[in-house]
Amino acid sequence: MNRSALVLLAPATLVFATIFALPVSLLFLISFWSVRSYRLQPDFTFGAWQRFFTEYWDLTLYTLLVGVLAGLICTLLGFVFAYAVRFKAGAYGDTLMLATLITLFGGYLVKVYAWKSILGADGLLNQALMIIGLRKEPMAFLIYSRSAVVIALVHFLLPFAILPIYAGLRNVPDETIDAARDLGATSSQVLSRVILPQIKMGLSSAFIFCFLLSAGDYVTPMLLGGTSGSMLGQFVLLEFSTRFNWPAGSALSFGLLFACLIVLAVLTLAAGIVVRQKPVTGPVK
Amino acid sequence: MIWRIVIALFLFFMLGPILLVVLFSFGSNSLIGFPMGSLTFDWYLKLVADTGFHSAFWTSVIVAIATAILATLTGTLAAIGLIRLAPAYTRTILAGLSLPVLLPPLVVAIAIVVLFVRGIGVGLGVPVVILGHILVSQPFVILIVMARLARFDQSAVEAARDLGAGRWQAFRLVTLPQIASALVGAALVSAAISLDDFIIASFTIGAGNTISTFVWGKMRTTLDPSINAIATTLLVMTVSLAALALRVSRYKA
Repeated sequence: MNRSALVLLAPATLVFATIFALPVSLLFLISFWSVRSYRLQPDFTFGAWQRFFTEYWDLTLYTLLVGVLAGLICTLLGFVFAYAVRFKAGAYGDTLMLATLITLFGGYLVKVYAWKSILGADGLLNQALMIIGLRKEPMAFLIYSRSAVVIALVHFLLPFAILPIYAGLRNVPDETIDAARDLGATSSQVLSRVILPQIKMGLSSAFIFCFLLSAGDYVTPMLLGGTSGSMLGQFVLLEFSTRFNWPAGSALSFGLLFACLIVLAVLTLAAGIVVRQKPVTGPVK
Repeated sequence: MIWRIVIALFLFFMLGPILLVVLFSFGSNSLIGFPMGSLTFDWYLKLVADTGFHSAFWTSVIVAIATAILATLTGTLAAIGLIRLAPAYTRTILAGLSLPVLLPPLVVAIAIVVLFVRGIGVGLGVPVVILGHILVSQPFVILIVMARLARFDQSAVEAARDLGAGRWQAFRLVTLPQIASALVGAALVSAAISLDDFIIASFTIGAGNTISTFVWGKMRTTLDPSINAIATTLLVMTVSLAALALRVSRYKA
């Protein structure tokens, strides 16, 4: 390997090693420690992991479900919007991407707070519904529900889905689409045989990013989820801060991470099977 | 026609909630809700007088500037190093350095706290926040600078070297002016990431506040209407940084 390249990489790698690799390894180690009368004991037990598998497995499944759901919705909506920007918006494309960037940098907390104001019991949506006369009483279930969490997560993560998908679509040459049309492909054939195969990378990175970020979130369910919409991240925080049970918090964190990786592996495998069943080449029509 | 409606719906969904917060920061009514009351700047005046907000604001500014400078430095050096390596190495190292962005920020933040408190016994505070922000910003810097370097003609550097320029001289006189706009763009994006972050800052700052943790404190306790004004201030800062970054990289590159 090139020695000057290693020297150039040293500062970034140093930050990565000391602020990420080392602490994350230490955190993993702590999941095998124990706590006695609020004091950490360097130990080797599976107590914390046992708790993860017995007490938290249903919450983990629910958290993964929210992640997959938010990831799928973001990828689908992100594709529709990116498709519109690339093929339908013409000269307005740049403005639309600017709007996406504003949403991206619109502030994580600001967005959650905005949804709280919209979906709250005395929030805008309830007021609007009462003004039109659809409801006499405010609907309490708008906020503090699972759907409120998913809506807010999709709103927060949509720009992260749009950007990689749009980057993929921009690299799809118009010629390939024109050629397919000239050869008699219908719009849906152009979409499934020409466009989608060329943006697989963009679609999968959009899904992975949105899935991981929503599964790991705790602020959105904390402010919008109420008791029914709680997610695992909140309990990671609870174990660490209120209960001073670092091993449990650590086991929950890594349990969630491993569970996410399993989900991604399964989905990758499933996607591979689906793609392989479709003939990639062959006559169109 | 149908696409116009689709695009309009998307814009409404994406920008609507954010615009609401901005709108209500100028309303005299204490909460988000109609009627919003008369036009007022009271919430902003209240912020200007709030010493808690002052210190949070300046902490955020210092952290953002430090992050911008340091992450651009580590990221740019890494990007220059990476393009000299074989593509297989480049991909692996880049994927590794990007890991901190893929893990939940909560886990990254807790890990940092565990190391600093339990591992080395150093207290938390602004320097730890800056380190955390460098960690999550440098992958973006690397990507931006590498994209610029990929389009940059290396033969110009070789020509300079053939004409007797030293390595550093060739870098300073040939490479640097070419990639300067990308560096400014990367620094602005890093600053925006730093300002926008709440989770890492809230764990690693110890005492004190950034704008994000300050607004969180208000969100948790009361529904203080000045939240709208703080949120709008933060929004204006991050969006203008991002827009500036876009402009710089668009017009110069």
